[in-house]
Formats: sequence, structure tokens, C-alpha cells
Amino acid sequence: MENDQLIAIEVFCASYDVEYAFVESLQEHDLIETVIVGDARFLQVPQLNRIERIIRLHHELDINLEGIEAIQGLLSRIEHLDREIATLRNRLQFYEPGL
Amino acid sequence: MAFVDYYQILGLDKNADDKAIKNAYRKLARKYHPDLNPNDKEAQKKFQELNEANEVLSDPEKRKKYDKYGKDWQHSEEFERARQARSQAGGQEGQWYGGSSEGFSDFFESMFGSGFGGGRQARFRGQDYQAEIHLGLRDAYETHKQTLTVNGKNIRITVPAGVENGQTIKIAGHGGPGSNGGPNGDLYITFSVGADEKFRRSGNDLHLKADLDLYTAVLGGELVVETLSGKVKLPVKPETQNGSVVRLKGKGFPVYKQDGQFGDLYVTFDVKIPTNLTDRQKELFTELSKS
Repeated sequence: MENDQLIAIEVFCASYDVEYAFVESLQEHDLIETVIVGDARFLQVPQLNRIERIIRLHHELDINLEGIEAIQGLLSRIEHLDREIATLRNRLQFYEPGL
Repeated sequence: MAFVDYYQILGLDKNADDKAIKNAYRKLARKYHPDLNPNDKEAQKKFQELNEANEVLSDPEKRKKYDKYGKDWQHSEEFERARQARSQAGGQEGQWYGGSSEGFSDFFESMFGSGFGGGRQARFRGQDYQAEIHLGLRDAYETHKQTLTVNGKNIRITVPAGVENGQTIKIAGHGGPGSNGGPNGDLYITFSVGADEKFRRSGNDLHLKADLDLYTAVLGGELVVETLSGKVKLPVKPETQNGSVVRLKGKGFPVYKQDGQFGDLYVTFDVKIPTNLTDRQKELFTELSKS
């Protein structure tokens, strides 16, 4: 079964030129989530961006999965802080419209 | 078109061996990789330079050509021949963001053409594009269609009412084309909502300062105030103080993607003291002050 929101892991591995074991290890490190439908295991399409980033960090920069785990945590924090800055900036603009 | 010193970019001298090049690239790529520097255009530019330098110096043939002709790139005849030979070879490599040669310098393209050498043939999503739309506060008040041009293509999007300053939305599949049959990247649009002369926004609420004449403030009455959905008549209580605030429920900003829901409008009264009083008016104020 494959729909717009799910990609079979085998298909993903063939497309991205990665080993099945690599995807399994990502799941073991809680870096991605997979979905089991029937006998097959799938990846969720909205996770693709994240998985591609992991592949790039791993293949291009030689960063191991522990390092990627730490990086993902820090990137999430940066994202959270970026959102907080945007909210605070909007509030500040209320008092200082020129900003 | 300026000469690009690839050795300098990687912090190497001309005698650097393959291992030194690889190490220098790895070290700097870890520092400037776009995945580790989200929304940092400087880092992205630096990373493109590193990629370009690595592409040339890690390929013996390209490096030889660069070392021989690099500084004399104006001798375009030889470069042109090299370029033709290169373009016939073809081939695309899965580099970052899908192997696009986008962002390579004119110098590189003049010497080596726009294609990459061989390499991994993985399918990769296309590059994600970033765009910014500037809106006035009143533009963001209503849902409307807007056309923007991204990389030469016109894209018509719906801007939902209530969009926040700094908010980013994703338009799936409108980024760069994927490589080797991979899906297109996405387009991320960030809204920059400017300030308004009259209304100030705080989340979904709006704030407005309204002038109120002294007599209406003291005796009460009505005041017509502007809202973003038209003018409304506002009752003013007797003895209204300067700086007092009234709330007009549902007259604020639309709530993002919540049809029919609006924030409130807060009106702050700015009581105006009359000027250029006549003698008679001064007498009356004096009398009033003694009463």
C-alpha cells in the first residue's frame, strides 16, 4: 500500500541510494518514525525534509547518528527561539512602530 | 567576472594534498552547512563557495586546469574548448539541495561549464525556495490573491486574512526541480506586515487613539470612530477621563484561518483641550473653576 502520505521504505531507499539498515538505525535513534501497514513499513511524507537533512548531515559531513541527534535537538531549539523572537518583535513593534 | 581563489577559500596553500583538501572542506562545511545554519544567507553563500572550491580542487583534472589557467581566465578560447568538452560529458551529481549548479560563480561556469562531475545518482528533492511578501496592515485584514515571481515563474497564492508579521507559510512543490526524478522542493513565503498610521496591532487585537473634545468628554455624547470594517458610532459616557479605553468587541483583526472570528478594537480617548478661547469662554471657564 502506498498513498500520498506514505512511502514504502524500500522505495525510499532505492530513490535516495541509502541502505535499509540506515533507515532502521534512524528509527532506533528516534530520529524518525515509521508506520507499519500490513506487513510493510512506511515513512510519512511530511518527514521527508527531516530525513533528507539527516542524510545530508551523515553523508556530506560525516556526522554520526548521535551527533545528528544532538543537532536535531539544537535545531528544534533554534526554531522555537526564532518563533519566540518573531512574537516578541511583533509585541515590541506595538510600542515602537518604527522597529 | 572576478578570479576566485579556491585555495584561499579553503584556507590552503597551493601544495595541499588530497587529504588536506578533504579535511579543510569537511571542517569548513561543518561550520557553514545550510542545514546547520537555517535562514543564514551569509552561511549559505559561504557554503556555496566552499562547494565550488572543493568541486575544483578535489578533482585532479579540474585542479590541474585551474592551477594552469586560473588567473588567466580571460584567455577564453581555451576555456571555451574546455567548456564544450565538459558539457558534452554531461552528468549531474547529487550534491546538497539536489545537485543544482545554481549559485556557482561566473568564474567557475566560464572555466568548467555549469554541470557537475560524476557521483552519487540518488534522487533528491529540489531546493527549497524562500520568498518574502510585504503587506500593509490593511492588506492583511482581508483574504486576497497575490501573484509573486519566484525564479522567473509566476505563482498565484491566496494570502489568508490575519496573517502575522514574520509568519512563514509553505507552498509544497513550488521550489526547485528535483534531481534524477526526485520531487520538487517547497516554496517558503515569509510575510512582512508593515505598521499602519492609525491602527496598531497586538495579536488579533487592534488599538486606536481617538481625539475627543473636552465638552463631549465632560458631558458625554457620541463619537464616530474608524474601524477596519467601516465607521462606527461610539457612545461616550459623561466625565470620560483622558486616556481611558473602551473595547469594541469583534472589531479587531481577523483570526488567522478562523472564518468569522475577530479580535477586539481598543479605543483610547485623547481628550483635546480647546485652544484660541474667546474672552467670554475664558470667563465661563473661570466661573466654572470657582463653582
